[in-house]
Amino acid sequence: MKISVYAIFILFLFSFQVTLLHSLNPFGIQPDLCLVIACLVGFRTGQVRGVLVGFCLGFFQDVFSAGPFGLNTFTKAGVGFLAGVFAKNLANRASYAAFVPIVACSVLSAIVLLLWSRMGMGLGEIFHGFFSILLPQAILDGLVAIVANWVIIRWLVEAPSA
Amino acid sequence: MSGRFRPGVFWGSGVKWVSVAVLAVAFVVFALLPRQSQFLLHTIGQPFADLVAIPLEGMATLDRDMREWWMQYIALQGLSEQNRELRETVQQLTGEVNRLRAQALTAERLAALLKFQTDESIRTVAAKVIGRSLSNWYQGVILNKGEEDGIREQMGVITPAGVVGRIVRTSGSTSIALLVIDPNVAITGMVQRTRDEGMVQGTSQGRVRMKYLPPLSSVKEGDAVVTSGLTGGFPRGVLIGEVSRVEESEDNLFQTAEIVPTVPLRHLDEVLIVVSPRSPDAMIPLDQALVSPGLQNPTP
Repeated sequence: MKISVYAIFILFLFSFQVTLLHSLNPFGIQPDLCLVIACLVGFRTGQVRGVLVGFCLGFFQDVFSAGPFGLNTFTKAGVGFLAGVFAKNLANRASYAAFVPIVACSVLSAIVLLLWSRMGMGLGEIFHGFFSILLPQAILDGLVAIVANWVIIRWLVEAPSA
Repeated sequence: MSGRFRPGVFWGSGVKWVSVAVLAVAFVVFALLPRQSQFLLHTIGQPFADLVAIPLEGMATLDRDMREWWMQYIALQGLSEQNRELRETVQQLTGEVNRLRAQALTAERLAALLKFQTDESIRTVAAKVIGRSLSNWYQGVILNKGEEDGIREQMGVITPAGVVGRIVRTSGSTSIALLVIDPNVAITGMVQRTRDEGMVQGTSQGRVRMKYLPPLSSVKEGDAVVTSGLTGGFPRGVLIGEVSRVEESEDNLFQTAEIVPTVPLRHLDEVLIVVSPRSPDAMIPLDQALVSPGLQNPTP
C-alpha cells in the first residue's frame, strides 16, 4: 500500500515538474522538486528512504533528461542519503531547519552535474552558471523545502494528535 | 522521530545498509563504465518512459488548457485570440518567404551552372510538446512522438517559422529535443544574403551564436541566418534567426554573430520533426551524379 502511494506520488510530482511548474516560474529558474522531495524524505525519515526515493525520482528524471543517463539517479540518491545524515546530527527539526541542508544538497548536486557533463566549460560560463542558475536554484530549492517541511509538520505529523 | 515514520521490519535490519552498499557499487560501476551503464539504464528506462508519458500528456493538456483559458478570458480576451492567430500567420508566412527565397537563390545558381533539378520537399512528423526540461542546465522539450513513429536521434525539429532544435534521446512513444539555445546543439548555418557559412550554437546564457564566420564577411545586423543543409537533420534554407550583433573573435581569425531565434522557444506547443531532410526523389545516386556532364563538385 505504502509503495503504491509512493509510486503515485512520484508519478504526479514528476509530471507536475515537467508541465505545470514550467508555467509557474516567473524568473526563468524553476526549483528541482525531485531534489527537494528526495532531501525531505531523507531529512524526515532517514538516509535509507532518502536514498530509495531519490533513486526513483532521479531515474524518472534521467528517462526524460537530455543529460547523461544515470547522473540524476545517483545524485538524487546521494542527496537523499546526505539529507538523512544531516538530520541525524540536527537538534532542531523545525520547518526552517531544512533550508541549509537542502541548499547544500542542491549546490552539491549541481556541482556534480557540472563536473560530469560540462567539463569543457570556460571560466566565464562557469561564473555565469554559478550566479544565474546554481545559486538561485539552490535558494529556491531551500525556500520550497521550508514550505514543504512546514506542510509535513503541520498536516502529517501534528494533525493526528490534534 | 515520531512513530509513524518508524521503518518497517524489512528496513530495520541490515538489509537497508546492503541496499545502500548496492547503490554505492552501482555508482562506482556507473563512474567507471559510463557508456555500458548508460546503455543499460536507458534500456531499463524505456518502458518507464512510455508509462510516464500517459500522465504527462494529461498534464500537458491541462497546462495548455489553463494557459489558453488565462489568455482568452483574463488577458485581453478577444485581442489575445486575434493576436495569436495573426502571430501564427506571420510566423508561417515568414517561414514560407524565407524558404522560397532560399529556394529561388538555390534554383537560380544551380540552374545557371548545372541545369540541376531538385525537389526541396521534406518529410516531417508533427509532434506535441508535452513537457519541458527538468533541469535548469538543459534547454529541452519532451515530445509525444518516439521510435514507434520513426523518430531517431539527431533528427532536426522545426516549426513553420524556423529551427527549434535537435532530437537527442528517444523512447517508444516520446522523444527529447534540445533547443537551439542549448550549448550542446550545433547546426551548420548560412547567412542568407552573403552566403557565408558558420557554426550556429547555443550558449549557456540561453542565446544563439554563429561562430567561424570568415573575417572578411560583410554580415551585418538584421541579416537572416538559415540552415546550410550540410549536416544531417535539417534541409537547406530553414530560417534559424536574425543577426543582432557582430563581433570579431578573440584571435581575430573569425567573426562571431549573435542571433535572435525566430521561433518563440519559450511558448512551443506543436513542432515538426524532420524525418527526411530531402525527399528520396530529390536524391541522386552518387554514381549518376559523378557521370553527369560538367558536374565536378556535386552540390549537397
